[in-house]
Order: sequence, then C-alpha cells, then structure tokens
Amino acid sequence: MAAKNLLEIENLHTWFELKKYGFVTVGNVRAVDNVSFTIEKGEAISLVGESGCGKSSLAKTILGLYNPREGHINFAGTVLDSSDEEQMDWYRAKVGYVQQDPYGALPPFMTLKKILEEPMKINGIKDSEERIQRIKETMEELKLTPVDDFLSKFPHMLSGGQQQRTVIARALVLDPDLLIADEPVSMLDASVRIEILELLQKIQHERDLSVMYITHDLSTVRYFSKRIMVMYGGKIVERSPVGDLLDNPAHPYSIALLHAISEPDAENVDTYKEVPSGEPPSLLNPPEGCRFHPRCKYKIDGLCDEEIPPDFGCGMEGHQVACWLYRQEGEGIPDDS
Amino acid sequence: MEERKYLDIEDIELFFSTSEGTVRAVDKVSFGLPRGESMVVVGESGCGKSSLGNAILRLLPRNTEKYEGHVFLNSEDLMSLSDEKFRHDIRWNRLALVPQAAMNSLNPVIKVQDQVAEPLLVHDMVDNKEQAKDRVVKSFRRVGVPTDFLQRYPFELSGGMKQRVSIAMSLVTEPDIVILDEPTSALDMLTQANIMNVLKRIKEELGISFILITHDIGTSSEIADRAAVMYAGQIVEYTDARNFFGDPLHPYSIKLMSSVPRLDVDKDLDYIPGQPPSLLNLPEGCYFAERCHKRFEKCSQEPPLFEVEDDWHVKCWLYK
Ligand SMILES: Nc1ncnc2c1ncn2[C@@H]1O[C@H](COP(=O)(O)OP(=O)(O)OP(=O)(O)O)[C@@H](O)[C@H]1O
Ligand SMILES: Nc1ncnc2c1ncn2[C@@H]1O[C@H](COP(=O)(O)OP(=O)(O)OP(=O)(O)O)[C@@H](O)[C@H]1O
Ligand SMILES: [Mg+2]
Ligand SMILES: [Mg+2]
Repeated sequence: MAAKNLLEIENLHTWFELKKYGFVTVGNVRAVDNVSFTIEKGEAISLVGESGCGKSSLAKTILGLYNPREGHINFAGTVLDSSDEEQMDWYRAKVGYVQQDPYGALPPFMTLKKILEEPMKINGIKDSEERIQRIKETMEELKLTPVDDFLSKFPHMLSGGQQQRTVIARALVLDPDLLIADEPVSMLDASVRIEILELLQKIQHERDLSVMYITHDLSTVRYFSKRIMVMYGGKIVERSPVGDLLDNPAHPYSIALLHAISEPDAENVDTYKEVPSGEPPSLLNPPEGCRFHPRCKYKIDGLCDEEIPPDFGCGMEGHQVACWLYRQEGEGIPDDS
Repeated sequence: MEERKYLDIEDIELFFSTSEGTVRAVDKVSFGLPRGESMVVVGESGCGKSSLGNAILRLLPRNTEKYEGHVFLNSEDLMSLSDEKFRHDIRWNRLALVPQAAMNSLNPVIKVQDQVAEPLLVHDMVDNKEQAKDRVVKSFRRVGVPTDFLQRYPFELSGGMKQRVSIAMSLVTEPDIVILDEPTSALDMLTQANIMNVLKRIKEELGISFILITHDIGTSSEIADRAAVMYAGQIVEYTDARNFFGDPLHPYSIKLMSSVPRLDVDKDLDYIPGQPPSLLNLPEGCYFAERCHKRFEKCSQEPPLFEVEDDWHVKCWLYK
C-alpha cells in the first residue's frame, strides 16, 4: 500500500440477492460492480452519479454495513476482515458517516447533547467531562453556537441546515480519519448548501481529514474536492481531477450529465437540451458490455454492446475513462458531433 | 384601472390554524400572467410556494383559517363561484395542478390509462370510453410515454415515467394554465432535462401557460417567461425572466441567485446567513430585514411592492 493512501478499495462487488416468495433467487442487483479506487490521507474526493447507480451501496460497503461479495478494503494499512469484531470496532471509530436523508437521521426524542454523546459512549469514552468538552469543540467547529443554547434542543426545533450540521457534528465527534458524507446537502436549499459545504471544507483542511463526498449534483463538486469519480450502473466510468472533468469530460455519460445541468440563464427558454433519452440501466439485468451503450450515440457495434470497457487514459494526468472510444491513444469522441 | 391579465391574482391570502397559532402561508400575494406566458415561483423551502398553488386552485386543507382575495381568469372573478361550479367549470377544465410528489400519489391499483382518463370522464368532456382513450393516447405521446405503457400499473414504471404520467393527466383536459409543483426535483438529472424539454415543446405547440413552482433556480430558467420570488408567504420580486436571471433587484433575489453554483464560471459562492422567519410569528417591518445585507432604518416598516420599472415589482425600500 502506498504510504500516503488512507483507503484502498480493490475490485469491490456488492450484489443484493433478489428473492421471490422469500426463497427463490431471481437474480442479483449489482449495485457495486468491480469498483477500485484510493483516497489519500487528508484528501477530499467526490463521487457523483444518478439516483440508483450504487453510490450509497458503495458507501455502506466501505463502512462495513454491507458485506462485499468480492474485493478488499484496506484502511490505514490493514485489510479489513468483517468477521474480526475487534478490528471492526476500531475501524468504525475511525470512519465518520453522514447518511443520506437528514430528516430521518436524528432521533426525535433526544436532545442535541444526547445525540452527540451517544457515539462516544458506545466507543467507550467514559469521562463525561471529556465528552462534553469534545461536544462543545465540535459544535463550535460547525457553528452550532451559542453551544449552551443548542445542547438542550430537540431536532424539530432546528432548521434543516442546523439539523444537517448536527448530523455532521455527530459524525465528527469521535475525531475520525475518514468521513463519508452521503448527499450531505442535497435536501437543503441552495441558499444554505454552500454554507455547509464551506464549513465541511474548512474542517477537512484543519483536521487533515479524508472525505468522500457523495452527490448527484455535479455543480457543487468544484467547490469541495480536487478529484472526482463518476458512477453509472454500479461502475466507475470516469475519474479525474475536478476541473479537468468539468472542462473536458471524456465519457459520453459524463458529457450528457454536464449538458443536462441548467445554469440560471434566461436564454435557456429558447433552446432544447441535448440529452440522451432512455433510462438508467436495470442493475438486475444490466446490459452486456458497457452499461451506457443503449443510450450512447457513439456506440460501436460488436464492441460496446459485448465487452465491458476497462479504464483507458485520455491524455491528461490522472484522468481515466472506461469507454471503448479511448482504446487507442489520441482517440476519443468523434469530431463530427 | 389597469387592464387585467389573463390570470390575475389579487391580494390572495391563505392562513392555516394550528395549535401554536396562525400560519400565514400566503400573505397578500398579487401578480398577473398574460395568456400563453409561463412563470416560475421560486423561494426557499417552507416559504409558501405549494400553498400559493393550492390557493389558486382552491384546494384548501381542513385547518384553513382564512382564504381571501381575488383570482381573475379572463376577467371573471373565480372567488365568486360556488365550490360546485368551481370544481366543475374551472378545476381541470381551465386550471390544472400537478401536486408536489404527484408521481407518488398515483393510485397503485388502477392502470395508468384509466387514471389519466379520469378527469375527462368526471367532467363529461367525452362521450364514451373510446374518445377518452384517444385523448389519453394523445396526451401520452405529448409527454413521451410509450403508448404500450397504457395498460401498466404505476409500480411498473420508473420515477421519470410516473412523473410524465402525472403531467399527461394534467394535460388531457387541455386546460389554459397548468401549475406544476416541483415536477422534477425527485428525478435524475438526465430525466429532469428530458422532462423540461417536454414541457417546453408543449408550451410552444399548445400555448399552455405553466406556473412552475420550484426551489431549483437553474431548472426554473428553462421555461420561465416571468419569475416571482417568494419569501415568508409573500412575493418580494416579480418581473420578466430576463430581468430576474440577469440582474435581480431585491436583496433576497440577489443572494438567492448568487448561492447557485455555476459550472461555467469559477465565481465565489454566497449564502444567506440565518433562516427565514417562522410564519407563525412574523417580525415587524420587512420580513427579510434580519438576514439582509442592505438593511437600513426604513426596513423596520413593511415595504409595499414598488413598481420600479414597467412590469418590474420589488418589495424593498431601496426602490422607493
Ligand atoms: N438492501 C438492498 N437490497 C436490495 N437492493 C438494494 C438494497 N440497497 C440498494 N439496493 C438497490 O441497489 C441499487 C443502488 O442503490 P443505491 O442506494 O446504492 O443508489 P444511490 O446511487 O445511492 O441512489 P440515490 O442517489 O437515489 O441515493 C438500486 O437499484 C437499489 O434499489
Ligand atoms: N395544512 C397546514 N397546516 C398548517 N401549516 C401548514 C399547512 N400546510 C403548510 N403549512 C405550513 O405553511 C408553510 C408553507 O408551506 P408550503 O408547503 O406552501 O411551502 P413550500 O414553499 O411549498 O415548501 P417546499 O419547498 O418545502 O415544498 C410551511 O411553514 C408549512 O409548514
Ligand atoms: Mg444514495
Ligand atoms: Mg412545496
């Protein structure tokens, strides 16, 4: 393992068995299908993709909530073994998790103090003064101030943004090395989204924290991470430095995603958007070959619909794309389009 | 007196009573929409967007405490109609609404073609089932649902297809105005873009007016001729889309616009500190003052909606 890497994911597969009548296996939902990547210590990386492409399944597998069918997770030099309880306890304390759906995330009948104390109690921090001290520090970091006013509040007394900051505080109170933030701001208004992303970024720098930021909203990634991965149909189809992907997307799916975003501009009324029709693939019966080929206007018959493309370089440092168009150096999306 | 717009809303109010007091969800809202034009209503969660849509369609919850004002449609005051007449002559017929999360409220045990046909049959707009089916097929084609989906049940459709079915249902009676409450916010980006294309085409071909309710400002620009910004139950700015997306005037609109992340420019983003006031307990003066970067003495009094330029209304003392 390269010394700088905090997390190394290798050939991870998470499939969900789909059963009929409770016992007849109909097939597998291939939510995570052969995914590999690394996160360095102190690095923020974004994972984007549309609803149902497997982002949360990947996050939960990394967190040890799902057992992978195949593949390895290497954290800080240790290959995780899900049957080793002691090791998993150590690991869970090192990884903070902000789950999707902030509204269901906080227990309604607990005060903020209780909510934030809970993870420390579970992880054996017995000194109650130390617990309070940590709670206060974390709340201050997340601008839940004046702290004393907030400690006795219940979740329903908080705005959506404050609730979300509480969820983040809970994930950070054990001082983890890695934070997995699954759509941490998607449910919030744009007017408060940026505040929370900026706060998260500041904390990431100050704590030298590794962060995996999961979102379906491509337009926020630039403000958060340096590296980005695009997921489609359970697979990572493109990975790149953020700026590079936004300026020169390589995968036809990434290109379509960027086209689909509406910038607030009055000119938009006059033009139609160029987006592929069709729907995201079924993960139960995914298409052969490249998962995107049924929607792709550059499809190469006999190749894209038959063989799964490996990662190819596409000219720029650290920019890789799983698309057959790039199988020869210097080639890519045909010009005529 | 000013000439009435095709749809003309005047001082409409919708208050709810709760155990904690009165919620002023729609607080003296006025605007006019010319025939065939589309507008968006944008604003933060809880500012009263859905309530405004419901108020226009007279869809009132049980705990409605106050429902007043005027809704003129082609100069006829709809408020003077009986509930019965409103239901029969106006709702679906001339004004339709696709409610928030409509795709999840399709009836799971009825085939989609029968659900979409329902408004036609209920309103005696067709003579027989065959005619109804023709209209349904037409409506499906318009929104891009393959006609072999006619016989399906909602659970057999993806989210995007269900949303299209909901829109098809609102179009089947060919109303003049369709209110769409957050029609794409639960959908994928590509599906969202596809549906916005569909709406645009319908607007062009049929001349239907859409009132699009959304908190997604980027998407809202896709079909907006005009834009209304709502804050704490009130409209604080109402103008042509070019004005709004180009150079909004109200400090709230300005902040709202600069909090939208952009792909094309690497600009610094802004956010609005604090949170909107509770609609149960509104402050004196301008409701936005507490969070406003341009606040001055005058703001302790409530500003009226000033007409800054022709057709550009701003509720802020800066534009007196
Ligand atoms: N526990 C489970 N059992 C069976 N199928 C599952 C399970 N969890 C997820 N899935 C399926 O796996 C696929 C990927 O789901 P996942 O939640 O990972 O997507 P996502 O990218 O996080 O989507 P979203 O953006 O909507 O959160 C979906 O088809 C989903 O229905
Ligand atoms: N029946 C009701 N009784 C009491 N309060 C209500 C009722 N319906 C809505 N409200 C409240 O009225 C306010 C406006 O709600 P509304 O649903 O119109 O907001 P919105 O702008 O559509 O929000 P969102 O963007 O979250 O959909 C909110 O504070 C809401 O809690
Ligand atoms: Mg998810
Ligand atoms: Mg609403």
